[in-house]
Amino acid sequence: MSALSFPPPRRRSRDVGEGITSPTLGVGGRIGLTVLALFGLLPVYWLVATAFMRREDVFSVDRPYFPMDPTLANFREFFDNSTLLKDLGNSLVVSAGTAVVSVLVSGLTAYSLSKFRYRGRNMIMVMFLVGQLVPGALLLVTLYLMFNSAGLLYTYTAVILAFTTFTLPLSVFLLKGIIDALPDEILEAAKVDGLSNLAILFRIVCPLIVPGLITTAMFAFMRAWSDLLFALTLAGPDKQTLTVGMTTAFIHDGAADWPGLMAASVITSLPLAVIFVVLQRYFVSGLAAGAVKG
Amino acid sequence: MSVTTEPTPARTISPSAPVRRRRGTLGARDRTFGFMLAAPAVALFLVVAVYPLVAGFGTSLYDQSLIWPGRKFVGFGNYADVWPDFLARLGTTLEFSVLATVCPLLIGVAVAVLLNARLRGRNLLRGVLMLPWLLPGVVVSFLWAWIFNDSYGVINHVLTQLHLPQVNVLGQPSTAMAAVVVAKTWNSFPWVMVVVLAVLQTLPREQLEAAALDGASRRQRFRHVSLPHLIGPVALISMLEFIYNFGSFDMIFVMTGGGPGTSTMTLAVTLYQYAFTDFDLGKAAAMGVLWLGVLSLVCGGYFLLNKKLES
Repeated sequence: MSALSFPPPRRRSRDVGEGITSPTLGVGGRIGLTVLALFGLLPVYWLVATAFMRREDVFSVDRPYFPMDPTLANFREFFDNSTLLKDLGNSLVVSAGTAVVSVLVSGLTAYSLSKFRYRGRNMIMVMFLVGQLVPGALLLVTLYLMFNSAGLLYTYTAVILAFTTFTLPLSVFLLKGIIDALPDEILEAAKVDGLSNLAILFRIVCPLIVPGLITTAMFAFMRAWSDLLFALTLAGPDKQTLTVGMTTAFIHDGAADWPGLMAASVITSLPLAVIFVVLQRYFVSGLAAGAVKG
Repeated sequence: MSVTTEPTPARTISPSAPVRRRRGTLGARDRTFGFMLAAPAVALFLVVAVYPLVAGFGTSLYDQSLIWPGRKFVGFGNYADVWPDFLARLGTTLEFSVLATVCPLLIGVAVAVLLNARLRGRNLLRGVLMLPWLLPGVVVSFLWAWIFNDSYGVINHVLTQLHLPQVNVLGQPSTAMAAVVVAKTWNSFPWVMVVVLAVLQTLPREQLEAAALDGASRRQRFRHVSLPHLIGPVALISMLEFIYNFGSFDMIFVMTGGGPGTSTMTLAVTLYQYAFTDFDLGKAAAMGVLWLGVLSLVCGGYFLLNKKLES
């Protein structure tokens, strides 16, 4: 490089160009960030480390901070436990079901709210906005009685319906934002070409918003996967999900099998971590949409 | 509620009416079709969310158990029974919601401001710091219960190594709430971080540069240029977090079950216990109605503030 490309003197770089929008960190800042990062990451380390530790080590006096003899026994025990395996299956069914139903229902709704004007449209939006703020516990008693008298208590259907209701507001607003960005001209041109309303929806709109649909599905999946309250009350022992199973499987007489519990925690968290890696670039906009519209 | 959301599409398709086309409209004739698309969501929401809110009031007037069939009308008797409990739990719930909103906010903003700096590995760090937010509440609860465990927890282990006395964090009324708040803070600071970082990275660069040219120090630039942009989003997420925390269930249920004593007993956990431990549905419903009253006030305040911030 030429002699002209010397870096500018250090002090000045703070106050020009990039130094203004993203300044450099002083010593205090670096220490602060390190402490905060440790607060964020050390517990995750401890979760994973414990999952790989031998039980003798975890409960010994000179317990190591690092799994010296890493073992897969805790994970193996999880997969040997038929109840937990069934819970894992239930979690998959219920979360995938919630994802599919959420995408279908919220996709149609988002298209409707975005591209059609009819009386009651604003009421529907307000209902979703307010509904997003209602805590699940508040609906518990009636939902239980309702599903009970409908014969749906302790079925996948009940749990999926409850989950979907709670994923709807975020899903609808997320997809509505995406469909709003589609130019009306495309739809009008399709209409002039004689396509039916349904054909426009499935052959024109759908393919254009596939990334949004996938994001929505994954958000819904995560929400259902993580829930405890509805799974605890509406799913019953037979259809209970992994989050519920964890709360009972590892605790006997008040003492918990911590390494086993941490291994189960790793297994429970893994799908969400994978989804996050896939979705990373949609996350901020999705979260922001949820925050601003919610 | 259901009456007002019902549209009257019959009027809009009358052929003699002039079809006025607006942007974003596919024409008046399609309005019925448009509404039909939203109908499943509306129906689901009315049945699974709106109706339970209203029907809870009916249940609250009866003495009704989860294990006995039949029910007995008791008027407002349930309300008289739960009122003292409700007031006490409301206090605990407020304590939790305020702490569990403020702490993640402070830490989230701090991390975002620091991560906004020029830094090697910044994007990686930001990605990795999302982990606590990703974990299901149940996992977060167990993880912190394990860290705080009185006999084998890592904190007590370190304390022992340093020859300091051990603490039973979750077992004492004075510290149990703090423990849950720490777990909740750990769980939700990443999302404050992400939102604030997004705002910081879209600040109008010209304003910052102009301020720098005028000789404003870094602190002054933050105070007078960045902060005004941050206040809106931060206020919004604080209110949202507060409302979520007000109804949050899983962490307290798993970590303390509301105890020791009633030191962490929030409304959500109380309602669950009334209904599914004591099997007293009438009382649980009465508690729910009172709770809904408070929530309406909070939501009303939220929307007023939201409007004010938007204008």
